[in-house]
Amino acid sequence: MTAVLSARSLGIRYGGSIAVHDAVIDVGAGRMVAVAGANGAGKSTLVNALAGWSRGSPTVSGEVLLNGQNISGLAAHERSRRGLQHVPEGKNVFGELTVDENLNLVRKGDDAAGRYLFSREEVINLFPRLHERRTHKGSALSGGERQMLAMGRALLAGPRVLLLDEPSVGLAPRLIGEVLAVVRLLVDRGLPVLVVDQNVRAVLEVADELYLLERGRIVGHGSASSMRHDDRIMKAYLGGLTE
Amino acid sequence: MNFSQQAINGLVIGSGYACVALGWTILLGAARLVNFAHGQMYMLAAFICWFILTRAGVSYPVAAVASIVAMALLGVVMQLTMNRLVMTQNLTSLMIVTLGFGYILQGSAGLLFGGAPHTMTTGLAQKQIRIGEVWFTQQDILILVVTLVLYAVIWLLLKRTRQGSIIRSVAEDPKLAQLFGIDSRAVYVGVFVLEAVLVAISAVLVAPRTPILTSMGFEEVITTFVVVVLGGIGNVAGALIVGMALGVFTAFFGALVSPAYTTAAIFAVMLAFLIVRPGGLNTR
Repeated sequence: MTAVLSARSLGIRYGGSIAVHDAVIDVGAGRMVAVAGANGAGKSTLVNALAGWSRGSPTVSGEVLLNGQNISGLAAHERSRRGLQHVPEGKNVFGELTVDENLNLVRKGDDAAGRYLFSREEVINLFPRLHERRTHKGSALSGGERQMLAMGRALLAGPRVLLLDEPSVGLAPRLIGEVLAVVRLLVDRGLPVLVVDQNVRAVLEVADELYLLERGRIVGHGSASSMRHDDRIMKAYLGGLTE
Repeated sequence: MNFSQQAINGLVIGSGYACVALGWTILLGAARLVNFAHGQMYMLAAFICWFILTRAGVSYPVAAVASIVAMALLGVVMQLTMNRLVMTQNLTSLMIVTLGFGYILQGSAGLLFGGAPHTMTTGLAQKQIRIGEVWFTQQDILILVVTLVLYAVIWLLLKRTRQGSIIRSVAEDPKLAQLFGIDSRAVYVGVFVLEAVLVAISAVLVAPRTPILTSMGFEEVITTFVVVVLGGIGNVAGALIVGMALGVFTAFFGALVSPAYTTAAIFAVMLAFLIVRPGGLNTR
């Protein structure tokens, strides 16, 4: 089975310093793929480069394939229109626009093949808070509500694949489980998801596969259940505890 | 002093100020861009209209539309040359670059049209209307009506349409807008063309009131600056109110004190106002 989203020897270089070396990643249909790594390992750099949304202007080498097509040369808005939906870490909604206005910015692409289509009603069903807060400005939302809004607009765009950078950062522990459960629900409908999260323990609960990133290199890859027993993961993220 | 006549004069002058400022209000407020060539673009639009009117022998509306189209094209060219500065929101460089554009436009216009003053005759400016002791021209009414209509249209565009939300989203964060599938560069070009079109509309309406010179533009950019800053940056309704108020102030100051000190007085008012309310008419 070919992957929906692939990175082929993706390299990201800022001047003389290499942020990511030759990354090879595949995200297949119905798979939730996690990228784990310490702070500064290059997780966000990697996922932003997949979306064509790098900070600054790094030299990006290698290829990004969406359904087998090379999209490396496309700008971020073109990748978004093709169904590569990225929910970045930090500011990911417009604070000066209302919830409704944020959602209305989005237009579904014309090419329906391979897209996972979500109606406004479905998005509201997943995140009822968005309906309650629909006339509020983005800046008035809580961290969790912003995360829901950012994911909501990504779904409304009719994604082929969803990238999530630190969806649980700054969320109350109860919300982390809730947001990840929604993500899992989407994956079970078939939507491929690539998630970067520092909360490896929580992510391992719901993800199918995990890539381990250290200092810009992918040093491990396997199913979530096998990676849970990987020494490096146990030592670095799970505090040496095993179930 | 004829009070009602000065009030009418003030409203007409004020609607002219507001009309000239509208493009900049959107540019600065909605897209966070500056354009110090605004005044020279006003001058150029007036001269293109005058040139076509006198040389081609066409009617005023035809010449006006031709000038507006020409300015829209100029807007595209200017924006494309500045695109990288715009995308990185490099406002200081944009200020210098647009100032430079202004001088280029002024120099080119001087070469093409010469340094002598001209009058744009529209017909409407000669048709006077008298009501009791008050008189004004049909051109005055045209300025007032078009300004009010344009402000209403722009307000609705920004607040009530998806296109308006797109402009505001790009103003807030052009990079984030890309993730929503928005081509921020294209939006900036569109907004700058809107600025060029609006300044051209204001020029073909307001310039017939006074002789036109290729050296003009400074006065226009300064009053525009005052209107936009006092109105509260990005506040469309605020710009209209301040433009009108400034016109009435100008009329009465000119009649009661002296027209020579009007510009200085306007700045004194701006300073005083900004000390009390640094955000202008903006509530936040």
